[in-house]
Amino acid sequence: MSPQPQKGTVQVTRKFSASAERVFDAWLDPTIASKWLFATPTGKMVKVKIDARVGGSYLIVEQRDGVDVEHVGEYLEIERPHRLVFTLKVPKYSPENTKLTIEIRALDSGGCELTLTHEDVLPDYIASTTSGWNTILNQLDAML
Amino acid sequence: MQRTSSLSQSTWIALADPTRRSILERLSRGEARVTELARPYSMSLNAVSKHIRVLERARLIRRRRTGREHFLSFNPDPLTSATAWIEAQRSLWMSRLDALDSLLEAEDAAAPKVPKRKEKSR
Repeated sequence: MSPQPQKGTVQVTRKFSASAERVFDAWLDPTIASKWLFATPTGKMVKVKIDARVGGSYLIVEQRDGVDVEHVGEYLEIERPHRLVFTLKVPKYSPENTKLTIEIRALDSGGCELTLTHEDVLPDYIASTTSGWNTILNQLDAML
Repeated sequence: MQRTSSLSQSTWIALADPTRRSILERLSRGEARVTELARPYSMSLNAVSKHIRVLERARLIRRRRTGREHFLSFNPDPLTSATAWIEAQRSLWMSRLDALDSLLEAEDAAAPKVPKRKEKSR
């Protein structure tokens, strides 16, 4: 197993049959983002505010079991349709900022391939303890 | 997908369900009988047993038999490493991107708006 950076980085790659532009816009269009980005099957999306410009911020609030869970962050780079960089914080569960980089490459098929890199995902309390399971469960509740 | 992580697919699937997470939370406070576990949920014993089986497969639950009684307890081992957390995050993003893909495909199915500039029948 390769050693993880101390703060933790997650990378996933996925192909889409939709065009790079549509996949890119799905992150910044409030109507579309509200349906998938931090949506959960049982939650209720209550607020989606997206100021899609560099330096602009977003606020996505989903109500889960009667509790509002805020996802907040700021856009650092916006290069439609290839690259999107923004911060993400879920204040209810962690004061720590994480950073997301979305890279989208058009494919000859007309679809695209998306690579997501989520940095600093490892909260200090998990990095520093081997018994953070309860927190993990709470975090999963927060993020699912 | 890489399978080097300590958090297996079965662990992730087990944790992805809120009922199962709440069963684990209950068991983290001490061992319990299956019937005791089922009580707070508005579901059948059978349905709860299914959840328990998923958790057992993921090694998140241990079972102890005393005569005819089965006692369940929580086993945090699969969750205790930072790598497990990282893997959970990865799975979470995979499922979000799956949701996005389904959403875009549903849009296409509902409104096939490929502007092919073919003949319009009006």
